[in-house]
Amino acid sequence: MDFSSLIDQIGEHTANGLTKGAIYALVALGYTLVYGVLRLINFAHSEVFMVGTWAVLGVYTVLGATGGSGVGLVILATALAALAAVVASASTALIVERVAYRPLRKKNAPPLIFLITAIGCSLVLVELFGHVFRVFFGPPFGRALVSIPSLIDTEVWLDLGKTSITNMQIIVVVGAVVMMVALDTFVNKTRLGRGVRAVAQDPDTAALMGVNQDRVIMLVFILGGAMAGVAAILYTMNYDITKFDIGFLIGVKAFTAAVLGGIGNLRGALVGGLLLGVVEVYSSTLFSSNWEDVTAFVVLILVLMFRPTGILGESLGKARA
Amino acid sequence: MGALSGSNASVVLPSVNGAKLALKQWSADNDDCEISLEEFDTEGDPAKATPAATKMATDETFIGVMGGAFSGETRATKATFDDAGLTMISQSATATDLTTEEPAAVFHRVIGYDEVQGAAIGRYLRDVAGAKKVFVVDDSTTYGEPLATKVKDELGDLVVDSDKTQEGQTEFSAVVSKIESAKPDAVFYAGYAAEAGPFLKQLRDAGVTATFVGGDGLYGADFPKAAGDAAEGAIVTCPCLPADKAEGTFGADYEAEFGEAPGAYAAEGFDVMTIFLAGIKDGARDRKAMEEFVDGYTGKGLTKDYAFDDKGDVAEENVVIWSYKVTDGTLTAEQEIPKA
Repeated sequence: MDFSSLIDQIGEHTANGLTKGAIYALVALGYTLVYGVLRLINFAHSEVFMVGTWAVLGVYTVLGATGGSGVGLVILATALAALAAVVASASTALIVERVAYRPLRKKNAPPLIFLITAIGCSLVLVELFGHVFRVFFGPPFGRALVSIPSLIDTEVWLDLGKTSITNMQIIVVVGAVVMMVALDTFVNKTRLGRGVRAVAQDPDTAALMGVNQDRVIMLVFILGGAMAGVAAILYTMNYDITKFDIGFLIGVKAFTAAVLGGIGNLRGALVGGLLLGVVEVYSSTLFSSNWEDVTAFVVLILVLMFRPTGILGESLGKARA
Repeated sequence: MGALSGSNASVVLPSVNGAKLALKQWSADNDDCEISLEEFDTEGDPAKATPAATKMATDETFIGVMGGAFSGETRATKATFDDAGLTMISQSATATDLTTEEPAAVFHRVIGYDEVQGAAIGRYLRDVAGAKKVFVVDDSTTYGEPLATKVKDELGDLVVDSDKTQEGQTEFSAVVSKIESAKPDAVFYAGYAAEAGPFLKQLRDAGVTATFVGGDGLYGADFPKAAGDAAEGAIVTCPCLPADKAEGTFGADYEAEFGEAPGAYAAEGFDVMTIFLAGIKDGARDRKAMEEFVDGYTGKGLTKDYAFDDKGDVAEENVVIWSYKVTDGTLTAEQEIPKA
C-alpha cells in the first residue's frame, strides 16, 4: 500500500486515469449503442478498434511520416490517419453487421447464436491480422507488437507543481469528450438520432411509424465504429503501438465501462469509462499494476450490487436532454 | 520446440537457425546418415506447447529435443518428456526452478540460470553502471519475478523502490509516476519485449533519463523495434556469448547461410545441435542411449565448456553473461559482466 505516492501526486494520477478512461469511454460507446438498439453484446467491437489502429499505421507508412517529418506532413498525416481510422473502423463494424448479424436477424435466431457469432467475428478479425495477412503480405502483420511512428513529441503543456499534464493527455481527453458530446447531440437532437431512440425504445412501434429499422441498425454500427476509430487514432498517438490482439483487453475494459455506467446509455459510457480509468490508475499506484484488473472488477461488482443497471441506468431510448 | 512466431519470436528463431547450420555442416561431412530437424511452434504459450510435446513424446523417431525456448513452456512439458525418456536440451530457458524443483532427468540446458544472471545484473548495475539508486520492475511472470528478486537481493539498499506490471499491459502511467518521484539512476525491468517496449517509451516520454536495464527476456530484435527511439542506450543482459566472440567461423558461416548476423542464442542453438549430433555419431540411436550420452557429455562448444551436472545445468564458473547496448536500433555487445 502506497498511500503517500497516491496522495502526493493525486493530480498526475487523475490525469493519467482520465486519459486511459477516455479511450475506454470511446470504445464503450460502440457496445452501448449496439446494445441499446439490438440488445446484443457485439464482442467483435474490440476488433473494430484494432482495425482502426492498423489504418493509422497504414497511412503513416504510405506517406512516409515519421517523428522527424515537417509540420505540414505531420498535420496532413495525422488528419488523414484519423480519417482512415474512422472509415476503417466504421466499415469493419458495418461489414460485421451486414455479413454476420443481419442474416441471423432475418432468420430470427435466438440471442445465444448472436453472441457466439460475435465471438466468432472477433476471432476471424484477430486471425486476419495475426496470421492470414502475414501469409499474404508479410510483416508488419503477424503476432508481434508493431511500433507506430510517434509524429508528435510528448511535451509537458501544463505544469502545476506536482502535476504535469502533457499535450497527449490533453489531446486524448479533449478529443474524446468532443466526440462524445457530438454523438450525444446527434442522437438527441437530429431526426436520424430520433429514429435511433425510437427503435431502441420500441422497435415494432417505430417500424409502424415509418422508421426504417435496418437503416437505423446500420447507422448504429457506423456510429459505434466511427467512435472506435477515433479511439484508435488517439490511442496510437499516445502509445505508438499496435498488435493483432490489442483490441481484446481494451474491448473487455470498455465493455466493463459500458456496464459500469449503464449499458445502453451514452452518457453512462462516458462516466463508466472515465471512472474505470481513474480507478485502475489509483489501484496501480496503491498496490501495483498487476492489481488493476482485480480492483476494476471489484468496483464493477460493488456498483452493480447497489445499482444493478449501472451508475446512470440503461436507457438509450429514454435518454433526454 | 519454442516460440517460432509471436511477439517474442526474435529470441528463439536465431537459435533454430544456429541448429540448422550445425546440422548442415555435419551432414556435409556425414552424408551416409540423414537426420531431420522438425520445428514445433508454441508461440511461447505453455498451453500450445503441451500438445506439441505429446506429439514428440509419442513419436519414437524423435531422439532429442532442443527446447523449450522459454521457461513457462518448459515447465509445462518437461514431465511429458521425462515420462517418454526423451532428452531435452534447452538453449534459452533460464528459470532457476526448472532444475531445482521437481527435476526431470531428461532436462539439460546450455545457459546459466536466472539466479546466476540476476546476481550478474546486480553487479552490473552497482559496479559497471555505478548506480546508487535503482528502481526494480518485474512483469509478475515466473520468469520476471524470481529474476527481479535476485537482483534486489544482490543490490540490497541500493533499491529505492519496486513495482510489478503484468503481461499484455500497454499502459504504464502508474509505474512511470512512481519512477518519476523515486528519481533513480537506473531502472531494471525483468520481463519480455512486448511489455518493455511500450513501458520504456512511456518512461522516456515522461522525461525519465535513468539508465534502463533489462534481462535476457529483452534480448533480440523485438525490443529495440517495439521501443523505437526510446530504446537507444538501453542495456540488455544475456547469458549468451556474442556470436562474433564465438570461436571459429560461426559468425561468418551463419551470415552466409541466413543473410543476417547471428541473433539471440544462435551460437547456443548451434551448440545444442552439436551435442545431439555428437551423440548420434557416437552410436546413440534410441532415446535411452541419447540420454546417457548427453548426461556424460563433456566437450568444448562455441560458447563455453560443457559438462552437465546431475541437475542438467552447466557449471556456474563456465557461464558467461554479457551486457549489450542498444545503438542505432540494434543490440551491440558491450562487455562481459565480471564474475563475482
